[in-house]
Amino acid sequence: MIEALLAIVVAASIYAMLSKDLLHGAIALSLTSVLSAAIFFLAMAPDVAITEAAVGAGLSTIVFVWAIRNTERTDRS
Amino acid sequence: MTAVAFSWTIWIFAACAMAMTLRLVIGPTTVDRLTTLAAVSAIVLAILTVSGAVGARPAFLDVALVYDIFGFLGILAIATYTRAARPGAPPEGPR
Repeated sequence: MIEALLAIVVAASIYAMLSKDLLHGAIALSLTSVLSAAIFFLAMAPDVAITEAAVGAGLSTIVFVWAIRNTERTDRS
Repeated sequence: MTAVAFSWTIWIFAACAMAMTLRLVIGPTTVDRLTTLAAVSAIVLAILTVSGAVGARPAFLDVALVYDIFGFLGILAIATYTRAARPGAPPEGPR
């Protein structure tokens, strides 16, 4: 069951790299953090899963959205 | 019996999450991707709660509790951004 979750993590990470809209990339990164927390939990590491869920899925998403709100949304490269 | 049912349940949840990931990749608008994030968050919460209940270790449910709070805050931040970016919405404060 961990292999299926890892496949979703890889797909979401590739989408976060290739996306031109930064908010979509932030959503994909949040999804990656959520599934990473689930994988850590299934690998019997609940303390790492708590940290990943709090910092990766919660606070970093809020910081990314705050940064996008104060700058611009599209990637110009 | 419980272990077999648990394994099938986790596989079904993983298949649903993969279908949601397809909507993340091809979804035309931001709201589709936000819906994907919310649905996958619910699926992951179900996985955490079921595995904590099957393993009979109630301390593992703390992970589900913490993620329920912080994941909701993240989804709320993105939803507030989409409300501010909608045309016709009231203007924001000073940036």
